[in-house]
Amino acid sequence: MGHRRSALLSILLLVAALASCRREPPEPPAVDPPAGSVHFDPSEVPYPTLSAYQFFTGPLAQLDANAGVLPYTVIDPLFSDYSKKQRHVWMPSGVRATWEGEGNVLGFQEGTVLIKTFYYDGVQPTNTRRIVETRVMFLLDGEWRFANYVWNADQTEAVLDMAGSVTAIDWVDETGLTRHVDYRIPAEAECRACHKAYGEWIPIGPKPRNMDTTYPYVDGPANQLVRWVQAGYLDPTHPPVTSPLPAWDDTSADLGERARAYLEINCAHCHSASGYCNFRPMRFAWEETTDPENLGICVEPHDPIEPQITHIVSRGRPDRSMVAHRMGSTAVDVRMPILGRTLVHEEGLQLIEAWIESLSPECP
Amino acid sequence: MKHILTLLALLVTTPSLLAQNTCATALPIGVGTYVVDVIDGQAPSPSCIGAGTADNGEWYTFFSTSDQTLIVSTDLPQNAGVDTRVQIYTGSCAALVCVGGDDDSGTGFLSYAVVSANANTLYYIAFDNRYSSTGFTFVISVGAPPPAEGPTFTPQPGLTQSSPLGIVDMNGDHLDDLVIAGTNFVVLHHQQAGGGFVASNIPTPPAMHSASWSLAAGDIDGNGRNDLMYGGGSGVTFMFQNANGTAFTQQGFSQYIFSQRTNMVDLNNDGHLDAFVCHDVDANVYFLNNGSGVLTYYQGGMGSTCGNYGSIFTDIDNDGLVDLFVAKCGCDPVDLMMMNNGDLTWTNTAAANGMADNHQSWSSAWGDFDNDGDMDVLIGSSSSNYHKLMRNNGDGTFTNVTPGSGFDTFSGTSIEWTTHDFDNDGYLDILGGGRLMMGNGDLTFGMRPGNIGNGPIGDLNNDGFLDYMNNTTAYFNDGNDNHWLKVVTVGTVSNTNGIGARVEVLTAQGTQIRDIRSGDGFKFMSSLTAHFGLGQEESIDQVTVYWPSGIVQTLYDPAVDTMLVIVETFTTDVAGTVLSSELELHPNPTMDRLSWNSSVDLMGANVQLIDASGKVLHERRITTPTLDVSFLPAGAYLFRAVTPSGILHQRFIKQ
Repeated sequence: MGHRRSALLSILLLVAALASCRREPPEPPAVDPPAGSVHFDPSEVPYPTLSAYQFFTGPLAQLDANAGVLPYTVIDPLFSDYSKKQRHVWMPSGVRATWEGEGNVLGFQEGTVLIKTFYYDGVQPTNTRRIVETRVMFLLDGEWRFANYVWNADQTEAVLDMAGSVTAIDWVDETGLTRHVDYRIPAEAECRACHKAYGEWIPIGPKPRNMDTTYPYVDGPANQLVRWVQAGYLDPTHPPVTSPLPAWDDTSADLGERARAYLEINCAHCHSASGYCNFRPMRFAWEETTDPENLGICVEPHDPIEPQITHIVSRGRPDRSMVAHRMGSTAVDVRMPILGRTLVHEEGLQLIEAWIESLSPECP
Repeated sequence: MKHILTLLALLVTTPSLLAQNTCATALPIGVGTYVVDVIDGQAPSPSCIGAGTADNGEWYTFFSTSDQTLIVSTDLPQNAGVDTRVQIYTGSCAALVCVGGDDDSGTGFLSYAVVSANANTLYYIAFDNRYSSTGFTFVISVGAPPPAEGPTFTPQPGLTQSSPLGIVDMNGDHLDDLVIAGTNFVVLHHQQAGGGFVASNIPTPPAMHSASWSLAAGDIDGNGRNDLMYGGGSGVTFMFQNANGTAFTQQGFSQYIFSQRTNMVDLNNDGHLDAFVCHDVDANVYFLNNGSGVLTYYQGGMGSTCGNYGSIFTDIDNDGLVDLFVAKCGCDPVDLMMMNNGDLTWTNTAAANGMADNHQSWSSAWGDFDNDGDMDVLIGSSSSNYHKLMRNNGDGTFTNVTPGSGFDTFSGTSIEWTTHDFDNDGYLDILGGGRLMMGNGDLTFGMRPGNIGNGPIGDLNNDGFLDYMNNTTAYFNDGNDNHWLKVVTVGTVSNTNGIGARVEVLTAQGTQIRDIRSGDGFKFMSSLTAHFGLGQEESIDQVTVYWPSGIVQTLYDPAVDTMLVIVETFTTDVAGTVLSSELELHPNPTMDRLSWNSSVDLMGANVQLIDASGKVLHERRITTPTLDVSFLPAGAYLFRAVTPSGILHQRFIKQ
C-alpha cells in the first residue's frame, strides 16, 4: 500500500516539477522505463567519451539524468579526499536487481551500469565547481567492467582514461577553509584492488541498508528503495530493511554504531574474509563488528609500526590505537584506507577517536 | 590556616623543584622504592626507545659499583592505570648517551627497563610524560650481570632528522652511508674514514613517485656512483646520481604501479644493471637498461597478477644465474620461486619444491644457514606463526626443516625478514618478528633476549660488525672478539656493483657464501658489501667471486678483519685453488671423459668447469657417472662441484 501511495504522489510531483521547471529532465515513470535514450551497446563499450552513453541530457556538466537514469546516494559514503559524489544507475529494459539481503550489494543483472561522478565545489581561482572524473562500472557477461572518464578543463566532455593520474585542486570548503589536494584519479588496477571479493569484481556501496534513506528527487524527496522499485530497478517483493546504517556524522545516533558504520563503508571492502587485506585480523563489516575482537579491540597488531601502538584499538587510548594512527597518517605506507585518500578525514578521525575514548576498561 | 597550607605546599613541592626536576639536579638513588608525585620537570632528550616527544621529565641517578643488571620498574599494582615511560643514559647532562629504557614492557602501559650496568658508572634515569604526567611509584633493583647471549647494540639517537631507508655506499669510498630520499631532495650522510658522518642535502627534481614503499640502490648508469629507485604507491622513479655526487636527474615512469619491494639486478645478464618491482595489484614490472642508463618499462612474466610483496634475487640452484623468489600476501598469496632460464623467462618451481605456501609473507630471508654452499630460506609470516625454514639440498630439492629449528615455536610476525651474521660467529642469523634469531650453523636458531627493531643494515662505523637503523636511531653493534671479512665487488664485465655475484669464503671452519643483492627484506636498502663473520678463525684460505659474467676469481690468504675490494678481472689461478682431498678425478689428464672417486656423492650436484682465465665454460647437474669434456679446448681446468655437504674443488688437464 505504501508503495502505491508513493507512486501516486510521485506522479503528482512529477507533473508539478514539469510545470515549474522546464529545464529538469522528466523523472522515470513508475513503470519499466524505455531505455531508448541511453546509448549502451555491449559490443562497443567502453566508449571513448562519457557523452557517448547519453546518460545525461543538456550540457554534460549539469549531470541531468536522461530517461531511465536514476540518481541515488548512500547513507555512508567512502571518504575520498573531501570530493563530492553524484551517483546514478541505469539498467536495460526488463532488468532489475534482486535482493540479496540488506547487508549485501544488490543483485545487479546483466547490462546494469553504475555511474559515479566526483567533483569539488568552490574550486579556485574561479570559485566554481570542477568535475574531475566519472567512474562507470557495468556488468557484462556476468563480470563487472571498469571505465573511468576524466573531465576536460572546459567541463564539456570526459575521456576514457584507465592509466591513472594526479591533478592538483585548490578549493574553499563549506567552512571557508582553503584546501589543497593532489587528487588521485585511479588506474584500472587501483579500481580492482578494492572492488573485489574472492577474486570477482564487485560494487561496494549499494547495499540496501546503506541505501534505505530519502533522496531529494526533482519531484520531491522519496525513499530510494521505494523509488528503485517504482523505476523497475529492484525486485518489489523485497523485505523491509530492519537496521539501516546510521549516518556516520549523525550526532543523534549511538557513537559506537556511528563508528561501526564508518568502518563498514571505509574499511570493510578490504578488511573482510573476501577482501584485499583479509590477512589482517580485523573484520570491519557491519554485521561482524558486533564482536569486539573483529574491531581489533585489545588485539595486538601484527605489524606495530611504532612501539607505542599497542593494539589495533586500545580501549580509551586513541594514541595507542593502530586504527587512529593509520587514519591520522598521510604517509603512503601507513595511511588507511590505503587507496582513495591522500588527506586525513579530520571529522572521521574525530569520530573514531571519540569512540575509542569512550571505551573502557583499559586493555590488559 | 592559609599560611600553614602554603608552608606545607612549599615543603612538599620544594624538593621536587630543586631536586629531580632537571638532569643537573637529578636525585641520586640506590636500590629501593620511590614515589614520583607528578612529572613536571625538564623533559629528557634524546629518546632512547623510539619516537615521541615529551614535555616534562623527572630525573634520578644511580651509581653502579659493579657489572650488574639494573632494573627500573613501574610495574607495580599501585600504578594500575598509569602510563609510564623511562629513559636510561650514561655520559653527562650535556652529552647524554642512551643505554636503554622502556615504554610498555610491564602490565598495561607500565614500564620494566633492564640494562646491563657497568662497574663505576653513573646512570641517569629519567621518566617522561609522553603519555601521562600522573605520579607513580617505581622500584630500582639490581641482579647478576646477564650472560652474553647474542650481540648487543648501543643506540645512537638522532643521528638523522628523518628515517633513512638506505645504508649503502653512495660516494664510492666503500664505506656505508645513510640515504634519506625526500620528495625533492636526497640527504646523504657520508660515513667518514675516521668515523662519524658528514651530511649533504642534494636537491633533486620533484620525484614523480616517492620511496614510500621501498628503496633500492645500484649504479645503473655505470658512472661509479649509486643511483636510487623509489618504490611509490602509484609508480616508480629512478634518481640518477651524477659522477661527482652533486646532483640527481630523474627518470620517472607514469605507469601505475602499486610498488612493494624494489630491486636492482642484471636481469638479462648483459653487464648492465636492470631493475624490478613487485606490484601489489597487478603483474610485476621490470625495467631493462639499454646500456646507457636509460630504462624501458616491461610488465608481466615474472609473477602472478596481484599480491606480490617481497622479491629477492639470489642464485637458488647454483647455476650462476640469479633466480627470483616472491613472498606473497593478500591477493593470490601463494609464494613463487621463479627459476631463471637465462633468456628473460622464468619457471615457477615453487610447487615442486614445497614452496607454494600461503604464509601471508612480505619477505623471505635467503642465506646458507648450514654453510654447505647453497641458499636455504626462511619464509617468515606477516600475520601468523606459519614460518617455514627450508634446507636447500643442493640437488634441486628442498626439505622442510622447520620442526625443531626454533621457528616452529616462534610467534613473532613482521613484514621484514632478513639474514646477516650479527655476532660474526660464521653462522647467519635471522632478523624478523621483532627478534634476532641467532643461527647455530645447523639450521637451528636461538632467540636473542629482547626486542629489536628493523631497518636498513650495514656497517656504520667500519668495525666489521653489522649495525642497523631503526627510524632515526642508529644501533651500533657493540662487537665481540670474533673475526670478520668484508668484500666489495667491483664489476668490469659484469654490472658495476657486482650485483648478482656469489662470494665464497673458505676457512678451516668451512665455506660461507653470500650473494650481492640490491633489495632484501621488504622495504629497506641494505649494504651492497658482502659481510662474513669468521668466528675465531684467524686466517682465510681463499675468497672466490663468481661474477654474473661467468668469470670466477679467487684470492688467496687475505687477512682477516679487513675489507677486500675485488675488481673483476680475468686472472684466476686455477693451479692455486685449495683442492679437496676427498675428490679425485680420472683419467687426469683426459681426452674426452672425466670420472671421479669421491667420498661425497656427486649425483645431483651442480658442476662448473672453469678455465684458467676464470671463466665458467661449462655447467651442468651430474646425472651420469662420467662427464663428457671432449668439447673443451686443451688446458688446465678447475672442476667445482656444489654438493649437499659442501663445495669441492679439483683440478684437471684437458689434452
